[in-house]
Amino acid sequence: MSDPMAEIRASFFIECEELLESLQDGLQLMDDGDTDPETINIVFRAVHSIKGGAGAFGLDDLVRFAHRFETAMDEVRAGRFHPDGEAIRLFFACADILGDLVRAARDDEQVDDAVTGPVLEKLDKLVGLEEEEEEVLDFTPATLSLDFGDGGGLPDLPDLPDLSALPAADPSEDTLPSLELPADMPAPVAEAAMESTAKGFTVHFKPENALYASGNEPLYLFRALRDLGDISVTCHCGDLPDLDQLDPDTGHLSWNLTVHTEEAEQAVREVFEFVDGLCVLEIKPLTGGGAMVAPAPAPALVVEQAVEIAAPEAAPLAAPQKPQVSTEAAPAPTPKPAPVAKLPVGSDDDTIDAAPKDEKTAPSVPAKATGTPTQPRATVRVDLERIDRLVNLVGELVINQAMLSQSVTEAGLPPNSPVSTGLEEFLQLTRDIQESVMMIRAQPIKSLFQRMGRIVRESSASVGKEVRLYTDGENTEVDKTVIERLADPLTHMIRNAVDHGLESTEKRLESGKSREGHVTLTAQHRSGRIVIEVSDDGAGINRERVKQKAIEKELIPADAQLSDSDIDNLLFLPGFSTAAEISNLSGRGVGMDVVKSSIQALGGRISITSHEGKGTTFSISLPLTLAVLDGMVVRVADETLVVPLNAILETLTLTDDDLKALGPETHVVQIRGGFVPLLDLGAELGYRKPQDSYVGGIVLLIGQEDGNRAALAVDAIEDQRQVVIKGLEGSYGRVPGIAAATILGDGQIALILDPTDLVGQASGRTRVRQPQQALVG
Amino acid sequence: MALRDQLRVMVVDDMSTSRGLITNALDSYGIRNVASAADGPSALQKLAAYPVHLVISDYNMPGMDGLQLLHALRSNGQTRGVGFLLITGRADREIIDMGKRLGMNNFLKKPFDPAGLRGAIEAIVGKL
Repeated sequence: MSDPMAEIRASFFIECEELLESLQDGLQLMDDGDTDPETINIVFRAVHSIKGGAGAFGLDDLVRFAHRFETAMDEVRAGRFHPDGEAIRLFFACADILGDLVRAARDDEQVDDAVTGPVLEKLDKLVGLEEEEEEVLDFTPATLSLDFGDGGGLPDLPDLPDLSALPAADPSEDTLPSLELPADMPAPVAEAAMESTAKGFTVHFKPENALYASGNEPLYLFRALRDLGDISVTCHCGDLPDLDQLDPDTGHLSWNLTVHTEEAEQAVREVFEFVDGLCVLEIKPLTGGGAMVAPAPAPALVVEQAVEIAAPEAAPLAAPQKPQVSTEAAPAPTPKPAPVAKLPVGSDDDTIDAAPKDEKTAPSVPAKATGTPTQPRATVRVDLERIDRLVNLVGELVINQAMLSQSVTEAGLPPNSPVSTGLEEFLQLTRDIQESVMMIRAQPIKSLFQRMGRIVRESSASVGKEVRLYTDGENTEVDKTVIERLADPLTHMIRNAVDHGLESTEKRLESGKSREGHVTLTAQHRSGRIVIEVSDDGAGINRERVKQKAIEKELIPADAQLSDSDIDNLLFLPGFSTAAEISNLSGRGVGMDVVKSSIQALGGRISITSHEGKGTTFSISLPLTLAVLDGMVVRVADETLVVPLNAILETLTLTDDDLKALGPETHVVQIRGGFVPLLDLGAELGYRKPQDSYVGGIVLLIGQEDGNRAALAVDAIEDQRQVVIKGLEGSYGRVPGIAAATILGDGQIALILDPTDLVGQASGRTRVRQPQQALVG
Repeated sequence: MALRDQLRVMVVDDMSTSRGLITNALDSYGIRNVASAADGPSALQKLAAYPVHLVISDYNMPGMDGLQLLHALRSNGQTRGVGFLLITGRADREIIDMGKRLGMNNFLKKPFDPAGLRGAIEAIVGKL
């Protein structure tokens, strides 16, 4: 085991990231005008907790900065300082720097004082606070006298400390100073927690031998009962005979259960439906509420429960103590009758009532610990590498499963044979596993959006524009790798939107817009892909200037006839920069072409829509996962290829009527009144020359993000299946029209098409020019 | 049997880092019967099933702060006598005075080292 302190330190930095996130959220709420004290408290607490943890690890830089930030936030919290927009912007800057300091501390790096200094100066000026000396407080610790008894057994906890030893006023209920408690948290929470709602039932359950003989198991019944609500279970073993008289085939146990539920008695009865007639069963509604169910004050029971629950926490010590518990605790006087004794259970009552027999009363099923709803769900932090290994293994499983399917088919087994149906289930399981594994890798895109918030703040400040970022769909879950690799392109797009997309404040006011420019960042799931949009409410693309620029740079011929969307797409050409003078912001040598290729590297596409005077929207569409895809396996010119299923709208067989010649070399396909260009996959990939005739041929209708369609002619459709994506780019660079490769069930390697890229670059040649034909002829 | 072997402690802090640090420190001087909770309400719930001699609680926690937890402990018959050590980042007079009135046994200012924590505990329960 590694050093526990190193582990705690590592988990501190992870926890810091969570705190920084809630810090950003809180500040955002404050910025939106939220003055709820709890919001301010969240912000304060985040800074406070980071400081506290940093102190423990001696991260002095972090502590110093966090302390000043905390002091300022404390002023806000105390209502002595009311932050305005400027102050909140400063707080955002502080939060950003705090994040920098946390990461620097984590990576053993330094943050330049030049970064922190000015912000701290502003902070002190704004809040107007001098470092206060903390006064030395006099406090005399109050000792407890602990009496552990003589036997070394578990102490009698409730009475253990002598209250009179406390120096302060006797802290009884009457004299306790009043303390403001949260509205939703009544003071005697402990009692409240122990008390139950009066709703529920007591169940006496005594199985007969026939119950066991028919294969029933009481534990399962109790578990089913637990699904109805909290239960407490007391096993009654008073009927157990001595060992020499014990018949191992006879049941001697009976149980008393208390279940707290809103359900009707019928629901409780249904749990025991299958053992009806095989047991003695008495179900009575709970009366009197709390007293019945509060954890028994009887020491024996309490201690037993304590050990039960303590076991996972302090297993090594709790376990050996167990025997002591029963022997030591049993003779202890019973302050109140054990609550179970109140249960109307018939003739066995006495055995439970008497305290000394409690030693035999083992609560076999500890009441289910229901987490309070406010608690965050339990999580486990896992090394990403482990998940990736799992993802790879699942990929192999998918391939293996495909191979197995193939062998079964080749063996000529009928589809209804047990092997085939078993394989079918195997397929389903493989898919479920794969989906679950993908879900482990997915995380909300929120962290990325928060980073973009910082980009907007910093970039708007540096170009002197007032910009507000709106985000939507922050909880959209995206593959972690995708999130990481999106950071750079998205940063650039956001900078672009602030710098080029939005007009200057004066221009905005002139054109009747709000002073503050808006940049909107959204994420959503759309038909198996993730769509992320960056939009601004700026002036829109100045197409005239874009075209002019492209002509000047000789990217397009001077007489080119371009549609609006063609012009917009010029922005993605390598070496294109629109700003008349390169500002210090976007002009960093990264063009939209780089953005486009990094999106493409993720299997995504990017498109633009722009409206003059209203703004521009960049839309990125990404696959949900980078590991597998559903594909259609097709054959063309004796090659096997995979076409991503989500790109295929439909498949059809061409008739003579469908095909129309267009121009000297191309065909279009008439589909329901529309015309779609026909592309021969074999010809486009250079496998063969265009065919003489496509009548009777199979085409895949490909739909693209921008709504364009194309008909892709193939020779045959072989299969539809899930394939594991194996990247090609590491070895071959980017291959036009090809997204990746995969391994098919027979071990053969097949290329996975990138239909959009293919269609975009297609020659469209589906006919041989007449002169050539003449030559042949 | 040494005191440290019998002493049962509950650590309450909303930061898992702090819980880890305290538990680690307790472990280093042999206190192994330690439970922990991430907030006041769940601490109270756990205490009902796992009574302890000493509660070590952070002051600044969401929902229910350390002193509110102390108040709840002192208001309940079963837990009113439990020892209480408050860990706080800021030892304001206000906090400490309220702690005193509620019967706080001791407090410890952050940041602290294991020795400091040990001292603060020993001031309550005696030599470990």
